[in-house]
Order: sequence, then structure tokens, then C-alpha cells
Amino acid sequence: MLQSEVWFLLRDRAFRVWVLVVLLFSGFAVWSGLAEVAQQRQSIAFLVDADSTDRTSEFSAQGDWGSAAYYSFHLTYDPPSDFAFAAMGQRDASSWKHRLRMLALEGQIYEHDPGNPELALIGRFDFAFFAAFVLPLVLIFLLHDLKAGERTAGRFNLLVASAGNDNRLWWTRSLLRAIGVLIAAVGPLLVGGVVSGTSAASLLGATAMVTAYVLFWTVVCLWLGSRQHPASVILASLIGVWVLLGTLLPAGGRVIIDRLVSVPSGADILMTQREAVNDAWDLPVADTMAPFVARHPEWTGYTHTGDGFDWGWYYAFQQVGDQTTESLSAAYRKGRARRDQLAAWFAIAAPPALLERWLQKLAGTNVEAVLDYEESVRAFHAELRAFYYPGLFGDAAFDPARIDDLPQFSSSE
Amino acid sequence: MTTTVKLEADALQVYRSDKEVLSGISFSLSSSEVYALLGGNGAGKSTTLLSFLGFLPAAGGRVLVNGKDVSADHKAARAAIAYLPEAASLYEHLNAFENLRYFLQLAGRSEDSPALEAALDRVSLAPASRARRLKDYSKGMRQKVAIALAILRDTDILLLDEPTSGLDPSAIDEFHDLIRDLADTGKTILMVTHDVYGACQVADRIGLLRGGKLVGEFSAPTDGRIETETVHRAFSGRTVDTQLAV
Ligand SMILES: Nc1ncnc2c1ncn2[C@@H]1O[C@H](COP(=O)(O)OP(=O)(O)O)[C@@H](O)[C@H]1O
Ligand SMILES: [Mg+2]
Repeated sequence: MLQSEVWFLLRDRAFRVWVLVVLLFSGFAVWSGLAEVAQQRQSIAFLVDADSTDRTSEFSAQGDWGSAAYYSFHLTYDPPSDFAFAAMGQRDASSWKHRLRMLALEGQIYEHDPGNPELALIGRFDFAFFAAFVLPLVLIFLLHDLKAGERTAGRFNLLVASAGNDNRLWWTRSLLRAIGVLIAAVGPLLVGGVVSGTSAASLLGATAMVTAYVLFWTVVCLWLGSRQHPASVILASLIGVWVLLGTLLPAGGRVIIDRLVSVPSGADILMTQREAVNDAWDLPVADTMAPFVARHPEWTGYTHTGDGFDWGWYYAFQQVGDQTTESLSAAYRKGRARRDQLAAWFAIAAPPALLERWLQKLAGTNVEAVLDYEESVRAFHAELRAFYYPGLFGDAAFDPARIDDLPQFSSSE
Repeated sequence: MTTTVKLEADALQVYRSDKEVLSGISFSLSSSEVYALLGGNGAGKSTTLLSFLGFLPAAGGRVLVNGKDVSADHKAARAAIAYLPEAASLYEHLNAFENLRYFLQLAGRSEDSPALEAALDRVSLAPASRARRLKDYSKGMRQKVAIALAILRDTDILLLDEPTSGLDPSAIDEFHDLIRDLADTGKTILMVTHDVYGACQVADRIGLLRGGKLVGEFSAPTDGRIETETVHRAFSGRTVDTQLAV
């Protein structure tokens, strides 16, 4: 049966057209993903280059630790993974690069605009989007009238009477079509993977996920398509399922999750911190130094207490600014992680969302990856402070050659 | 040749969409027999055939194929039967050979080209058209391919639903010869028609179906055919009541 069904399928014009459509869509999605990743890599390379040159000239031009820190910028970035081209995920919604100064940090993390706000809203046409939303539609168009079409054509009874075991016939027909669509969908992904040097494990994992997903929709199509309704009714109900699983459930889930878990906005953090830092100018030095020294007992001996400007005091109130937003920022991180956790549970009921999440996890473009990157920015900023504080609060003399000892941000790459 | 009962409907009752379509009909066919179910539109002829294939469950009574209840094993019934559906349609984008090969392999058979040619010869499908796609065929030509398919299945039993529809008169005559040939080689043939003349030409027995009831049965004399006039009178309702009284 298999051989003749393959033969039969290859003569099916509609099938050939749909496979071509899938190939084109998948190819376009992969190509635009690769182009975007190349662009991001290029922009990182450019910034990395400019970063050290800028700093070298600024740092060596200064005469004290305070201004050296004030004028030096430090690039942090989260490079796209070797699989990011397939699922850009959070890279469109959150910043993946920052130019930090040794000022109050939390505001710097959140003041950046997301790179592509409009894309974050409607979703980018990357492979993950294509696979999660377009692929099921093609399967629906291809499979909905597998039986109904034969009924309308008056062949159904003859087919079933001839086959005896007609379940096998419908399964064979469905699965062969699904395999054709799967190959056309995954083919460009694999080519893209080879081009961008994706690990075999990622490609294998992604292929397995898409295969499971295609199988899911094939079963749904076969199940609903077995009803003795006209093809148009079956098509409408399948599209209904697609809308439900692909948009209504995820959107409803998002609303519920957002209600359940409140998250302070990045702008709140930015404003709170900015106010704390601005207010500090008018406060007695002691008001700033008390919370600072509580955190850094090693600088209890810092002597500047009176009027006038001192870099140590300045950087102390920058840090205290971070301290005032600590709880807000922690709530922000915890809230985002919690929402993400709930979304993961919710996605079990909405396979399109589940597939997207899986692919984004593989691609390192999920919320977890964003939070990890932000943590690495905090860790780097803490290193900067550890580097400068002996000069600012102790008596280490300024030495332009110490630029070589500046902490280097190392990306996860 | 020993005669065994190949097909049997026993007080068969069938509902379609909550409507009683067959109300307890009984008849049986032995090997080498040609039985024609005659009846007007909606009499329940096609329904009867579908019951033998296990497409429609018996609400009452039984249908048996080769002595086995179809409801117990419809796959065995389907394997033993070549079925020609009413207004049979095959794949329009395939030619006659491709259609035959495809449907035959569905039934687990493979035939070489000479066998296909021979079957198409038997239904007199013009050789020149055999390699053309069915979308270029007339209704009669399509019907011929479908009949060839039924022959090629090479089963003991043939169920033919309005087999002569679409055929022109000379093709119908040839078809009747073909049916007689098949019966002579031991095939059991149950055909459905509303063509009284044709039924009398070819059938050993005729069952008259009306409103889901078998209202009369006619048998051919040992050395002749059933008389058309008798059947026609019964069919058009003029003598049915007296026949029924038997
Ligand atoms: N698919 C169907 N669903 C419901 N009722 C049907 C269906 N097909 C036929 N019927 C009804 O069953 C009865 C018998 O139909 P059928 O066996 O096709 O008659 P015939 O073949 O003798 O013309 C008719 O009254 C018809 O309306
Ligand atoms: Mg009929």
C-alpha cells in the first residue's frame, strides 16, 4: 500500500503546490532569520571594536579614578546563539546589548528601548512563527477533505470496500502528506543550521519538536475529518481549533497570567532610581554613606563627610540608588520569571505556544535567557565597582596603566 | 458444480437517518446466480448492497456473505466482494490503467498490463482512450473502466449498483453477455437496476423492491429468460397485490 500511495501522492497536484508553498515560506523565514542574526552579529562586532578604542582614549585622558569611571563606557551584549535565526523570541522585545557606565545600574538596564517594538507586538515571521502557526494551516488545508473529498467525489465507498481495512488507508494518506509537508518545512531549517553552524543536537531537537507538532495536527485533522460532514464544515471547525489553540488560548492565558502575577514596569524602576539619585544631591552626606557602608563595611574609614563634591560620595549615592530599587527590581525579575513559568504550564494546553517556547529555549531567546543576560550585566557591573572602589574610597593612587586591569565583559558565547 | 449460498439477507431491517429504509427483506443467492434487485428510486436497492458490505448496520435481521454474518467481520465480506458503486467515480487525473492498478492494489492485488488490457477489452473500452486521463472520458467510458475494475478484482461475488447507467444500448447488450459469462464461470452476481428489460435479459431471478419491502420475486424457467411483460406489469404496480398474496 505504501508504495502505491507514494505514487498516488506524487500525482496529486494540490499536494505538490502546498509542499512548494511550505518550502517557500520556510525558506523565507529561515533566510530572514539568518539575515537578522548576521545583522546583530555585525552590530556587536562594530560595537566591540568601538568599545575598547573609546575607553582607551577616555580613560587615559583622566587624572583621577572618579572621572575615569565617569567617562568610561562598557559594552555588554548577548550574542545570538547558533540557533537564534530560527526563533528570535525575546530578542525583539528586550535589549540584548547595553553601554554601561559605573553609575546606578538598574535604570541603565531598563532604559533601553526594545529593538523592534512593532515586531514584539505582531511577532516576527521567523521559523518558529512559521512552524507554530502557518504549518498547521497548511496541514488543515491539505488534510481536511481527505475523506470528505472522496465522499463528494463518490469514491469513498469504493475506496473503503476495496481497501477492506480503510483505517490504514487514511492513516497512510495522512501521514504521507504530513511527511511531505514536514520535509519541506524542516529542509530549509537544516540548511540554515548548516550555514550558521548550529549544533547537531539543536537541529535534531528542533526536528523532533516540529515532527511531534506536525503529528499532533495530523491527528487532529484526521479525527475531525472523519466526521460525516461536508468538507467546508470540517475546514471551518479545524480553523476554529487553530484559532482557539493558536490565538484565543494564548491571549486568554496571557491576560490571566498578567492578572495573577503583577510585575513592576521597567519604567518604574528607572524613575524610582533616578529620583533616589537626584535627591541624594540635597541630602547630608551621612544619609548616603550610612546605607552604603552598611553594604560595604570595608569602606567605613571613608572620611569625606563635609560639604563639597567628592567622587566617592557621588558613586556611593549611585549605588544607594540601586539599593533603593533593589526590592522593585527583584520583584520585576521574580515576576517575569513567575509569569514565564505559568506560561510554560499554560502552553501545554496550547501546542502552538508550546512549540514556540521549545524552539526559543533551544535558541536561547526565551525569557530565561534574557534574565540570565541581565544577571550577567549585574555581575559585570559589580566587578566594575570592585575595581574602582579602592581608588574612590581608599587611597589607591590613579594610574592610567591600570586600564589593562579593568574587568572585561565576557558574553556567554 | 455444487451450489452454495453466497449472499443472504435474512429479515434485514436498515435505518438511515432514523428512517426505516429496509423493512425486513429476505432473499439469498447461490453461486453462478445472477439476481437483479428491481425497484424505483428510493426503494432501498443501494441500501441493500451497502448492507452486504457492512457500510450500514442491520437494525434487525442479518446479512451473510459466504455464510458469515457481515456485522461480525465486514473485512472478510469486503474481501470476498467486488463492488461497483452507483455512479462509480474513479480518479479523474489518472488514466484507465493507472486507476485500475491503484484500486486493485488497494484490494491487495496486482495485475500485469496484459490482464488490464484483457479486462478493458471485455468491456470494449476503445484502446486509443485507455492511456488518457478519465477527465476526458464520457460517462459510459468511465462506467466501463469501473466495470473492468470489478471484473479484475476476481472475487466470487459481484455487487453491481446500476451497472448499465451511462452505457449505450449496444454496450448494455455486451455487458449482459459479460454478466452471463461471469455467472457461467461460477460468479455470484447481485445487481441493482430500475431497467426492467435489462433485468429480464440477464437475471436468473428478479426481486422487486418497493418502499423497503420485497414485494415480489420472479425466477427464470430452466431453459429461458424471465418474461419482461410479467415483470413490467408487476413493476408498474398493476399486479403486485395479487403476486403479494402468495
Ligand atoms: N445517505 C443517506 N442518508 C439518509 N438517507 C438516505 C441516504 N441515502 C439514501 N437514503 C434514503 O434511503 C432510502 C433508500 O435509498 P436507496 O437505497 O439509495 O434507494 P435506491 O438505491 O433504491 O434508489 C431513500 O428513502 C433515501 O431517501
Ligand atoms: Mg440507488
